[in-house]
Amino acid sequence: MRMVSAAETAPTTHPWAVHAEGLRVRAGRHLAVDGLDLALGTGVHGLLGPNGAGKTTLMRALATVLAPAGGKLSLLGESVDGRADLRRIRRGLGYLPQQFGFYPRFTVREFVEYMAWLKEMPKAAVPGAVQRAIERVGLADRAGKRMKTLSGGMLRRAGIAQAIVNDPEVLLLDEPTVGLDPEQRLDFRELLRDLGVDSCVLVSTHLVEDVVAACTDVVMVNEGRLVYQGTPDDLIARGGTGDAGDSPAERGYSALLRRHRAEAGR
Amino acid sequence: MSRALSIELRRSAAPGSALILLAVGVALLYLVAEAEWSAGWMQLVMAQRLYLALLWPLALAAGAWQGRRERQSNVTELFASTPRPRASRVVPTVGAMALTIVAGYLLMGLVGGLAIVSTAHYLPPQVAAVTAVGALALVAGVWLGMAAGHLLPWLVTAPAVAVAGLGVLLTIPAATRPKGWLALVFSPIYEMNLPEDYATVPGRVSVSQAIWLAALALAGLLLFASSGWRVRVAALLPVALGAVLAITVMPHHDRLVVDAVDPVAKELVCARDEPRVCVSRVHEGLLPEVVPQAREALTVLAKLPGMPSRVHEDTTTYLPYVPAPRTADVALVTIRGGKTGDLTSKIVTGVFARSYDCEKGPDWADTLAAAYWLIGRTPVAEEPDVAADALIRWRELGKLPAGEAAARVTAIRDAAVGCK
Amino acid sequence: MRWLILYLRSRHAPMALAVAGACAALMWSLWLVTSTTRQVGAPMVVLTVLLTVSALTTTLVSPDGALDRTAALAWAPRRAAHVLAAFLFVAGLLAVTLVTPARFSPALLVARDTAGLLGLTALGATVISPARSWFLPLGWTLAAIVFPGSGNRLAEALTWQGQDPGNSPAMVTALLLAASGLLAYTLAGPARRAMTEITV
Repeated sequence: MRMVSAAETAPTTHPWAVHAEGLRVRAGRHLAVDGLDLALGTGVHGLLGPNGAGKTTLMRALATVLAPAGGKLSLLGESVDGRADLRRIRRGLGYLPQQFGFYPRFTVREFVEYMAWLKEMPKAAVPGAVQRAIERVGLADRAGKRMKTLSGGMLRRAGIAQAIVNDPEVLLLDEPTVGLDPEQRLDFRELLRDLGVDSCVLVSTHLVEDVVAACTDVVMVNEGRLVYQGTPDDLIARGGTGDAGDSPAERGYSALLRRHRAEAGR
Repeated sequence: MSRALSIELRRSAAPGSALILLAVGVALLYLVAEAEWSAGWMQLVMAQRLYLALLWPLALAAGAWQGRRERQSNVTELFASTPRPRASRVVPTVGAMALTIVAGYLLMGLVGGLAIVSTAHYLPPQVAAVTAVGALALVAGVWLGMAAGHLLPWLVTAPAVAVAGLGVLLTIPAATRPKGWLALVFSPIYEMNLPEDYATVPGRVSVSQAIWLAALALAGLLLFASSGWRVRVAALLPVALGAVLAITVMPHHDRLVVDAVDPVAKELVCARDEPRVCVSRVHEGLLPEVVPQAREALTVLAKLPGMPSRVHEDTTTYLPYVPAPRTADVALVTIRGGKTGDLTSKIVTGVFARSYDCEKGPDWADTLAAAYWLIGRTPVAEEPDVAADALIRWRELGKLPAGEAAARVTAIRDAAVGCK
Repeated sequence: MRWLILYLRSRHAPMALAVAGACAALMWSLWLVTSTTRQVGAPMVVLTVLLTVSALTTTLVSPDGALDRTAALAWAPRRAAHVLAAFLFVAGLLAVTLVTPARFSPALLVARDTAGLLGLTALGATVISPARSWFLPLGWTLAAIVFPGSGNRLAEALTWQGQDPGNSPAMVTALLLAASGLLAYTLAGPARRAMTEITV
């Protein structure tokens, strides 16, 4: 038996937590996301794609850091454009950027607490939420340590802790598994499955295995466009014996990418 | 909010900056010229203001160092995704910086106060105003520095704003010459050096300076909290308004602080019992030291008839020249700084000395010879030729019969009193 | 040559040199606008040296110290050369002003303060961290300018930056700082813990 979460019982006013239509986002002068259609609901979505496919730019746009250059984007039912009330959307966001910046002199607890304050959480809820977030990423014994003393994997986990501290409805994790050892990755997959129960989690990664193991949904982009969206099982099914890869999922990934490139080249 | 503030109080540059300012400030107080502020609290807080010449640029640098933290730590991306607007996000940071810097400045005053607490009893309300203006100057400096560090997040910004700050402080007097009052509006250190013992800072001066510094602080705050050009341009508004208002409030006379005399500090306060010994209120704490020496001097003087029977502090001020009242039965003595030294001979000598504005009367050697004949010791003087002269005349007095010598000494006294 | 250019770019040297040049140019034009004499005042000269030296601080650290340490080539002579080159740059920059309407001289003062402040900065970069290495040169120099000591040797040695170029206690302090800074930086290199915190 599992607990029924608040998000499940509350009436949903928006069909999709993330909804993009013909979304275009610039990264500098380059149009890194170019006409992307995407609809994401509750669950864990793995975002796959080769380097330079526009994954990080898409993440940044979803995190409301970058304003869309065109098309439509709505987050949590609220349209993101020049006049949007970003504040309301941002209260429901959790974001771990690819380049996770932090204040080196803060302790882990202080930094997560500070982020909770920036996310405008109710004051009374902060201490409990901070402790829970730190425990969920397995940093409870390091909570009092300065951020600058943490190793790469611990920093990544501290980054995840700050992202989930406000129990976000939309959680955006850009390469969260970098620097995690195999055991921590298993724990992290467990955490992802747990988080995906009542929020929309989008995980950008290059590790196809993580996607298959922990995601309910696979999103693949290339050159700023959506290549594929489906279940991990379906991804595996796409792969044939002739495709590159050491696992069925990797073969599926290769097959999809090869087919898309062939279509684009035509 | 309070949690964020307490985190910032511990983890931002605030505690470090305040400690550095405190250490530098205390070092300046005790190493540069301790004698200049040992007279009382007013002199101490004015010395603190003078040392803003160094502390203010350092506060600017500290602010700039803190101001570039977000860029330096690469958190702009992460914070951009959070709902709290920048204006609200910076409140704990600016609050922590201001609180600790002000605490450091106050603590510097207290550490200085340790040296004078036993003798400095007079604490006029202007002390609080002078300190408040100093603290406000530091807050304005820190916030302006933070704005600079935020807008130009480079390493060299901090030393550059410090150098610029020092340059501004040092050039204000020259840039506003001959309008000294204008320099007083814009520079918190102007006219703060070498305060006299009855010195004060007129209330309107402090109000005017506070207005200007508050405007500067507000501009720094707006620039630091801003995220768009509109607010940044709007930051010019308080600066312009503050300047106009401060110039209006400041009295348009020169030498406002140098010429200011605190009448309450100058008022005489007397020891309880007879014979009367009175010092100015600012030196009240020195009475226990002064009284026995003064009474000893009176005993010496009592050997001759018609000599003073009371001792008053000579409260003459020279800028502007206001002489202390002179009457035949009062011996005047100048008391300076926190240490009295040997007063007995000074009081006796003073009795035989002509007043400051008297052109005639006995010369200094005669004065010394007469005084030390009465005391019964060889005369001492700082200038060797005067000392030699005085010694010759003292010996002459010694050779005369007692009655004749007394008559000569009384004549010197009469010449000094009558300026003849 | 190729190596040198890549090295300079890795240390953000073009930016630092430009900033240093801009600081000097700013001070130069300030003097030109505000003063009638050709000889720049001593405090202005000292402050200009301080600013240009601070601007070069960023070049004292590489973006990845750990990677540097794994390199096969000997860093020590190159670090020494780096500090000496910085000295020549600052001194040379101010020497150029000798032919202009605002002269940053005497040369001995410029050389002494550049050497001393650069040494102090290098020492700070080695012992504390490059990002914080400007703290002490800045505070010390401002204090020496505002409250110059005179009369006794200790006071003159402690406020060496603002003393006359012929003052021997000041010269001794500057040379000591220069030598110890050069030596420490050459032998030890920038402090490890602060590798990541410096940007421009």
